[in-house]
Parts: sequence; structure tokens; C-alpha cells
Amino acid sequence: MATSGATNYFRFLRQALHVATEGGWLFYTWMFVLTAVSLVGANAWAFQVRDGMIRTNMTDHVSWGLYIANFTFCVGLAAGGVMMVIPAYLYRDQEMHDVTIIGEIVAIAAIVMCTLSVIVDLGRPDRLWHMIPGLGKFNWPISMLTWDMIVLNVYLVINLHVVGYLLYTRFRGRTPNPIWYVPFIFVSIFWAISIHTVTAFLYCGLGGRPFWNTALLAPRFLASAFVSGPAFILLVMRVVRVGSDLPMHPGPARLLVQIIRVASVVNLLMLISELFTIFYTGAGHAASARYLYFGEDGHRALVPWIWSAISLNLVGTALFFTPAALRRGTTRVIACLLVLVGIWIEKGIGLIVPGFVPSTLHELIEYVPSVTEWKITAGIWAFGLLVLTVMLKVTIAVFTQEMKLPSHAAAER
Amino acid sequence: MTERRAIELPVVGEVTRRTVMKAGAATLGLAAWATALRPLVEWADDQNVDDFLQKHYRELTPSELQDVLNRLTDDARRETGRPVVIRDHKPLPGVVFAYALNLSICIGCRRCAEACHRENNHDRATHQSYIRVFEMQKGGIDFERGTADYHHPVRAKDKYYMPVQCQQCENPPCVKACPIEATWQEEDGIVVVDYNWCIGCRYCEAACPYHARRFNWEKPRVPAEEINIQQSYLSNRIRPQGVMEKCHFCLHRTREGRLPACLEACPTGARVFGNILDPQSEIRWVLENKRVFVLKEELGTKPRFYYFFDK
Amino acid sequence: MSGPLTEQPPLNRVKKGPLPGATSCWRGLRYAIVCAALGPWSGACGPNSHIVPGEQTHTDAKIVASPPGRVIIRTPEGSPRVATSIRDERQQPVTLACASCHTTRPPDPSHRLGQPLNRFHQHVVGSHGQLSCTACHNPAEGYETLRRADGTTLAYADVMLLCAQCHGPQYRDFLHGAHGGMTGYWDLSRGDRQRNNCIDCHAPHGPRYPTVLPAPGPNDRKPVRRNHD
Repeated sequence: MATSGATNYFRFLRQALHVATEGGWLFYTWMFVLTAVSLVGANAWAFQVRDGMIRTNMTDHVSWGLYIANFTFCVGLAAGGVMMVIPAYLYRDQEMHDVTIIGEIVAIAAIVMCTLSVIVDLGRPDRLWHMIPGLGKFNWPISMLTWDMIVLNVYLVINLHVVGYLLYTRFRGRTPNPIWYVPFIFVSIFWAISIHTVTAFLYCGLGGRPFWNTALLAPRFLASAFVSGPAFILLVMRVVRVGSDLPMHPGPARLLVQIIRVASVVNLLMLISELFTIFYTGAGHAASARYLYFGEDGHRALVPWIWSAISLNLVGTALFFTPAALRRGTTRVIACLLVLVGIWIEKGIGLIVPGFVPSTLHELIEYVPSVTEWKITAGIWAFGLLVLTVMLKVTIAVFTQEMKLPSHAAAER
Repeated sequence: MTERRAIELPVVGEVTRRTVMKAGAATLGLAAWATALRPLVEWADDQNVDDFLQKHYRELTPSELQDVLNRLTDDARRETGRPVVIRDHKPLPGVVFAYALNLSICIGCRRCAEACHRENNHDRATHQSYIRVFEMQKGGIDFERGTADYHHPVRAKDKYYMPVQCQQCENPPCVKACPIEATWQEEDGIVVVDYNWCIGCRYCEAACPYHARRFNWEKPRVPAEEINIQQSYLSNRIRPQGVMEKCHFCLHRTREGRLPACLEACPTGARVFGNILDPQSEIRWVLENKRVFVLKEELGTKPRFYYFFDK
Repeated sequence: MSGPLTEQPPLNRVKKGPLPGATSCWRGLRYAIVCAALGPWSGACGPNSHIVPGEQTHTDAKIVASPPGRVIIRTPEGSPRVATSIRDERQQPVTLACASCHTTRPPDPSHRLGQPLNRFHQHVVGSHGQLSCTACHNPAEGYETLRRADGTTLAYADVMLLCAQCHGPQYRDFLHGAHGGMTGYWDLSRGDRQRNNCIDCHAPHGPRYPTVLPAPGPNDRKPVRRNHD
């Protein structure tokens, strides 16, 4: 029995490997480019480990930069992945049901990127084992970073389990038993909220950083995650529809656009409320925001970034509100791209860096990422997309029955 | 059925060729990864297994700690050719340290920062120090109108000077932040870092409201002849690359009863240091008789570093 | 009239030039920097300075908490001597005691510190309130001692008590370790503490603390780089 199970699983893996490496020239080019960019990133990281973080442009004043910015965005992406799950399971939307797995795959890839973003930010990645509870010294429940590590890893495991279980049972030609995945899906809904809340708590729990020290940070994170997550999934669904035989119903995509409409308005409202509080009150606490939006004392490094982000978000949101966004077409794709880039800036560089500028002792020392940082971040994205592509290939193969347990093996069971 | 055979038993020529190509690509890919990561190998050559496997400072038994100190001392001697001594200074019973700084007589000469730089084996090229001195505008305690970047003769007109270093908070946000307890508060109030345990995530640096923490963006370099050879595990031994460090009230001196280096260097006597538990101590006199204040009191960090004005 | 007599730095002070604004501003600065950089009387100062740190315990320093550690306050060696350009047969410079001249020359009680002196003591410049020479220097004993406001004499070694007459709060702070540089032990049960004297840092004739050039700063471990790599 067990042997047979192991054999079947081995078959699953072998076929998965096969389909993941099988495709047209477009697919191979895509994979080649992603691998190449990953390699560039890995190489830059290896140099960074050898020579030290001196290769980054971070300083004791701006001690977190592009890596943590990207981390924050990717957590949002991961949390946003679950936005497909909520309607599917809470409201029993049948069409949504069939594509929830895409959201979960996006979540997995995003968590992989999160983890990598944190690892490359460590000065001593060789000491990562110090974080393993039991082996090292885990400062739980005091340190918010330990909470973040727990929620991210558990979220990864939940999603891996759900995705793995659904794919494998389908591969074996069986109907998934709800007992084995539905409870996990409900946990993952709660968990998706928690990963982003806890990530916000990382920042807003720091009393010395007034720019982050706001109760609105977690809700804002969630709102923007519920824009960026679905936007990313919409793009993935588009690729799947165009590039595979897997049927994609128009319903789920339409629902996602509706979600984005609501979330983006909520996000905008909260941003306005935040800006009002900061600027109308004025005083020292406004320094970071002044620096971010208008520049301070001739330091304007972030001003072009944040106004690009605002423009992208506004135009993207406006496009989502056009009737064209509800239909399949270029408008929707453009809108998705615009808000993705906009949010990446807004809650990445636009959120992390002003927390440090001016510094806690009000020194204006600016930060612009170094080439090493850009290479590594690009490498992380490339690797994340590589993971996503492979998982999508396998999923599509399983769902289209291209990949299934040979009937004789299925009969043995 | 045929489809299955094509996958599982690749006998068709085209598939075989494809499989071979895939294998070739995989080999090339692996080689590329190995090449890309080669700097890691160079780095790993410099690391040693004992360092890697070392336990947290507070989990070391006395004999293990001695082994660690011996190993570090040997390494330091081999690297520098100097008779370095790395010891371990434990907190003194009945002692909690506090510091006070008289802003009326501080002239902003940065001798304290300079002394820290030498005493604590800071990176020479960057002239690093745990102390940052701000030139402040009289009329308020407003860092927005202050600067650490001054080079003219001091004291300048209408200015006063505010050296800022670790405030050794009673309620330190940095300690709360650390995910792996690599930084903690000792019995005598000094917040220390185990340089051999820190993973370099810099969350403590983000958490500190006083810009007191410093990161080793690369390995600090001190010419051998300039090294202060009297070193301690938790204080001024030369730090590894990629870990946090911070002011430790010169615990290798103060836990021997001596004054910290920054105080000794102060030409005007603006600095007052001592045991806050001793009612006869100078620091107690200052706290009881001067109108002292702490930085960012509203954050509830309860600094043990006080400032005061004479007039 | 510039005679052969030149002024010795007042008392036994560590190398310290005229105060800024007095002669050449730059020279003044430089001296002051040396002084501040060395910590006027720290061990590093030893070889250059012509004073040996005073070994006697200051009688008025009642802050000594617990023996065996002592608080040692540096004191001047004695009354100042005036340098001449003459050398004796062993090529040692010849210095004169105050009484050499002052037994015959009466002081000018109307002179105030800060006004130029054109015959003797031309280097005594500076500013210290409206003090006359004899406010501190004691004519009664041939200027070999100091005198307090009540007319009592005071040895040069006890100069701090002279200062304390007017600068009570500073003296109080000094006694409580909150004014004036120090080295050694905070814990006197483990060792001694050495302390500066008022005049180690404050020139008696112009006590305003000199302007100095600061040490390098702001000491960033990683200077901001815009175009790294």
C-alpha cells in the first residue's frame, strides 16, 4: 500500500518535471531569461555575502532599503492571493472554485519571494539557524519579527498543502475529500489577513519611527494587498487563458475587478485620511511625509517615485472603473500593470525609506538602491516567476488531464 | 496510452533528443549556478566551523565560554600579530550604570567620539564612533535645527552641543525587536550584542529611536599597531562583518571600576558616570540636584542617559 | 620698553597659548586644540608638559566616598617664576622669583585685567571681570602667594579655593564630579581618580574656555554614496 503510494507520488513528480520543462520556444525563452536573471541575482548576492552589505547603498541611517520594500510588497501579493478563495468558499461561487488554485499558487510564489527578500537582507545568512525554534534562540512572543516568520511559514505550508493535495488527488483521478482541504482553506483566509497585519505590525510597532507608527498601517496594507493581489492574479489568468487549453470563465475575473474597485477606493480613502492627519497637524511628525511627497531641504530622491506611484494608482484605478475593465481586453491588462507598479512603489520604497528619512535624530540622509540591490531584487522576482511558471505548468497539466496517473496504476489501488 | 508511453518510455527519436537536450541544459544550468555562487565559496573559506556552531553567549557553560575566549584570542593574535587579550567582563553586583551629560559645558569638540573610536577598535577609514555630536541651535532641543556635520571651531555662537550615544534604555525597543535574543540588557543596565550570534537583520537599528546602533557593513579594519589589545567579548573586540554593534558604556573598563573612555577624554568634565544605586555617587548627586531630562521621554524607553543644563 | 624679562606662562599650566583674540587667532586656536586633544593633563600630556601631576590630595575635596581610592586633584607646584633670556653656566634658563622686582616696584592698583600692560607682563591679556592684579595676587608676601577677598593668604597650590570665592556653583559641581575633566576610577574602592584643577582648563587671566577645532565627524560608518558599484 505504502509502496504503491510512494510509487504514485514518484510518478507524479516525474511527470511534473516533464511537463514543467516542456513547451514552445516562447516558453523556453521565458524560462531562459528568468534563469539568467536569477543567476545574475544569485551572483550579486554571493558577492554581497563575501564583501558585506557595503555593496548595498543602505547606511546606518537608512538601514532597510529595496529588499525590505520588496518583501513588504510580496507579502501583500501573497495575502491578496487569497482574495479568490473568500468568494469561492464563503459565498460558494462555483466558477471561482475552479480557479482558486491559481490564487494559492501565486501566494506560494510570493512567499518564496518574501523569504528570499529577507534572506538577502541578512548580514549573516549563515547564521539563519539561530532563528530555528529549539536549535537557536527564538525571541517569541516578544519580537514581531518572530511572529512574522511564523505566520509566513505557516501560510506557505497551508498553501503548499492545499495546492499539493488538490493537484495530487486530481492526478490520481479522484475527487478531493473536503475534509482534507476545506478546513485548511478557511484557516488560510484568516492567515492571509494575519500575514499582512503582522507585517504591518513590524513597522507600526516602532515608536521611534513616527511615519510608520500609525494604526492605519495594517488596514492600508490589507487594502492595497487586495488591489495588488487580484491584479496580479488577473494577469496570471490572462496568461493561462491565452497560453493553455485550460478553460477560463469570465466570471471570476469580473469578480476580481469588482474586488479591486472596492479595495482601491478604500485604500485611497485611508491614504487621504493619513495625509490629512499628517499635514494638517504638521509638526515634526510630518517631516518624513514632507520629504516623501515634496522633498525636504533640497533632498528629493523619493519625490519622482511617489508621484509616479500616485499617478499610476489613480490612472489604474480609473481604468478599473471603466466598463472595459469588466471585459477581456487590453484595458484590464494595462490597469493591472499600472496598479501593480504603483503599489510596488507606494508600499515598497515609498513606505520603507521615508521611515528612515529623516533619521530618528532628524538627519536627512537619502537612499537610492545600488546596482547590487537591483540585481538581487530582479533575481528574486525572476526566481519567484520561475517557481510560479513551473507550478502553473503542472497545474494546467493536471487540470487538463495531460498529466494523470496511468490507468493501470490507478487500478492497482 | 501512446501518450503515456512517450512520457514514461521515451523510445521515439524526437523525445529522446529532447530529453538529452534537457539534460544538457540542466547540466549547463547547474554549472552556471555554481559559477554564479563562487564568491560564496571564497567567503566560506574564511569562516570557521567553531564560529558557525557556537552557542548563544548566555547558554555557554563557563568552560565553553573559556574555550570561545581562547579561540577568539588566538584568532585575533594570529590575524593582528598583537598580544590581544579577549576577556569576559560580568556585571558587578549592586551596580546599575547611568550617565549624565552637562550641556552647558559641552563644547562639541568630539573628543569623546574620538576616544570611543580608538578605545573600541572602530573601523579607521570611516572614523566610526558610537557617539554622534549634534550642534544645536540655542532656544530649544530641536534636532531638526541641529546638525552632526560641523567642522568649524567650537563652541560657535548661539549653539550648544548634544552628544548622542546609546541611552541604555531601561525599556529598550531594540531588545524587544531582536528575533533571536542576540541583544539583551545585562544586570547593570548595559544593552549588549553577542556579535557571534547576531544575524544582521537590522530590525533593532530600525527600532532604536536614538540612532545608537551601528551595522558592520563590512569587516572593520584597524591597523595592527593601533589596536586596543585590552578587549572583551561583549564590547570592543573587533567585530565580525555583517553584525550589529553599539555603545556598551565601555564595559571592559567600567566593569573593572574604571571610567568610560568618552568621559576620560572630555576636556570640560561635561560627562558624569557612575552607579545609580550608590546614593553617594556623583551621578546620583546630579540626578537629585540638577534638572535633568531624557531624550524622547514620550516614547517610554526610560533612558539611563540624562542631559542637563547648568543655567 | 622691551626688557630682557619675558613672561613665563602663568602658574604651572600645561602648554596653553594666549587665548583667541588676544594675539594671533590661529595660534591661539592651535594651542587650544593641542590642549583639548590631549586632555589637558592626561597621561598622554606628560612628556610635553613641564608639570608632574600633583600627588597631594586636595584638602577641600571632601567628595572622597570610600577609601582606599583617592580623588587626586592636580595642583600647581608653587608660585610662578618669570623667565629671562639669560642662561646660566650649565645652559639652564634663569628664572626670577616675583620678589626680585616686586620688592621695589609697587603695583598699580588702578590697572584692570584686560587693559594692555606696556612695561612688564605684556602677555597677561585676557578678560576676567573687572579684576585688578592684586585682587588675586598677594602683595603682602612678595607675590609668592594668592590672597582671598577677606585678605587671608592662600598658597598657589590651593588656587581652586581662590576661584571658588566667586564661582561657587562651579566649585560645588566640581566637588560633586559634575564639572571638570577626570580620569581613573568611578569606583574608588578599586582605584584612584585624577582630577583637573580649575586653571588646567581656564586660564586665570582669561578664563573663558578657548575655541577649539572639533575632532573629525560625524563619524558615519558608511558615508552616503549615490552611485555605488
